[in-house]
Amino acid sequence: MQQPIVSIRNLSKVYRQGEMEIAALDDVSLDITRGEFLSLMGPSGSGKSTLLHIIAGVDRPTSGHCFVEGVEVTSLNESELADWRNQNVGFVFQSFNLIPVLTAYENVELPLLLMNLSSAQRRELVNTALELVGLADRRKHLPKQMSGGQEQRVAIARAIATDPRLIVADEPTGNLDSASADTVLEILQTLSRGAGKTVIMVTHDPRAASHGSRTIHLEKGKLLP
Amino acid sequence: MSIPGFIIRNALRNKRRLLLSVLSSGVSLFLLVTLMVLLRELTQPPTDADAALRVAVRNKLSLMSTLPQRQRFVIERVPGVEVMTPFLWFGGKTEADGPIRFGTFAIDPARLKRLFPEIRCDAGDYESWLKDRASCIVGRDTAQQYGYKPGDRFTLVSGLFPASIELRVAGIYWGTVDDRNLFFHHRYLDEAMHDWGQTGMWWLKVSSTEVMPQVIDAIEREFANSANEVRAESERAFQAAFVSMWGGIKFLIGSISGFVLLTLVMVTASTMSMAVRERFRELAILKALGFRRRDLFALILAESFGLAALGALLGAGGAWLLYSGMDVPRATHGIFVSFEVTGQMLGTAALVASLLGVVSCLAPAIAVAKMSVTEGLRTLD
Repeated sequence: MQQPIVSIRNLSKVYRQGEMEIAALDDVSLDITRGEFLSLMGPSGSGKSTLLHIIAGVDRPTSGHCFVEGVEVTSLNESELADWRNQNVGFVFQSFNLIPVLTAYENVELPLLLMNLSSAQRRELVNTALELVGLADRRKHLPKQMSGGQEQRVAIARAIATDPRLIVADEPTGNLDSASADTVLEILQTLSRGAGKTVIMVTHDPRAASHGSRTIHLEKGKLLP
Repeated sequence: MSIPGFIIRNALRNKRRLLLSVLSSGVSLFLLVTLMVLLRELTQPPTDADAALRVAVRNKLSLMSTLPQRQRFVIERVPGVEVMTPFLWFGGKTEADGPIRFGTFAIDPARLKRLFPEIRCDAGDYESWLKDRASCIVGRDTAQQYGYKPGDRFTLVSGLFPASIELRVAGIYWGTVDDRNLFFHHRYLDEAMHDWGQTGMWWLKVSSTEVMPQVIDAIEREFANSANEVRAESERAFQAAFVSMWGGIKFLIGSISGFVLLTLVMVTASTMSMAVRERFRELAILKALGFRRRDLFALILAESFGLAALGALLGAGGAWLLYSGMDVPRATHGIFVSFEVTGQMLGTAALVASLLGVVSCLAPAIAVAKMSVTEGLRTLD
């Protein structure tokens, strides 16, 4: 059996709102294998985004463990976690979240600025990423000069520019028309199947989820069998 | 793209706000430098070598109380005294020009140049002044302002003394720290006042700085317990005491400077807070991409610092350019003489701008440092 890239054990996350305690995740255990395209589904408030954020190292669990490639992400301090995210995780968000004052090229280059790379090395990586998403000709365009689908493809290029092992996508097609959504999902699928990236995608859309190699459902913070 | 390039793009994203922020900090720093220049103008002591040898002797009671001229014979005999002159501020106005904005002093012309060797005057004109008791020499700034030239005549009417004196301009002088005054013969005033026998104060020069303390002590002792006790002090001490009368103004200028600084900090801090608040989402994204707290702090600090530096360049640099390029004595009708922006002032402005850059970004930077990525991301959708 293939070694899991993500291994989650007894993960719980409790949010406190005054006196109230809300369990976003309740004793979740899960393994995700390398190259898998996992779709996380569930109703709003089911804890799927929380789980995604913990795996991506932008949130911490109340209890439990989350290992990514053997590294216990939950034990890293803020600085270590930032470096780890930069090298291991690519983010794709629902609302693209490109920096509006930067061109497509510069947005993709942004995470590479934190690595010790020459400008020539950065240029090569950015161009490759933009070509992979089919936007090589839009490198000088600002986000406002592109369509939503194109913006999301730039966001994917930014996510893969650092060659991370893990790509986390939070509702990546939520703001897109069906044609653009299909393009984005196909790119994610290619990244999973062709490039061996592990893709974890949160979605409400069963059609989007069907692009994944596996779909799991969360409800009230628990994994459904 | 580089990190500095990214910072510049961020700073330029709202050009109107950037312009207004730089202008507000620039104007504030301009005002601050102007206040520093003003304060220096009011308080700067004379710095020439001869000033170190000069002693001012005045009535111990007050600067406005006169001294008997007979004191001269006592003071002249004090060992170490090289030369001395009576010195009386006449004040007043002219019939033609009304109230005047320059000092009119009755002195002993024969001693003036020995006492104030920095005075420059055409030799013939100076000689003419020495010979003609009813003549005067006028500082170049005043001559330019009032259009006086050798040979002109006018009458000075004092508001302090019951005398009007008609004077002929014998020459124009220059070369002193303050080329605005008018000097005329004390003897001429004595005559006009019917041998009044008083003067305002004494100015004298001692042979060396070493003997100055003894001279001062001796003069004060000579007149101790007399009807006209005197206070003798070095020119610098006299200037300092004179300037202390400006205490209220100094306090006022200091207070205004303080408020200017406070406003400056608030304006810049508010700008930085707004700039960061607008970008909270993006900063969360940067954090998610791997930017550490210190990276984000550096981004915010650099932007804030750059904004303050631009303000300093505009304000302090502008003040320097303006005041070094303009004829301040003429523009202020002789009220200010040098009005110089010194290197120290520019340094102070640069320091203020640097501190401003740091202080104004502290609150937003701390807010960003405290922000968790999920908290920032939650504002996204």
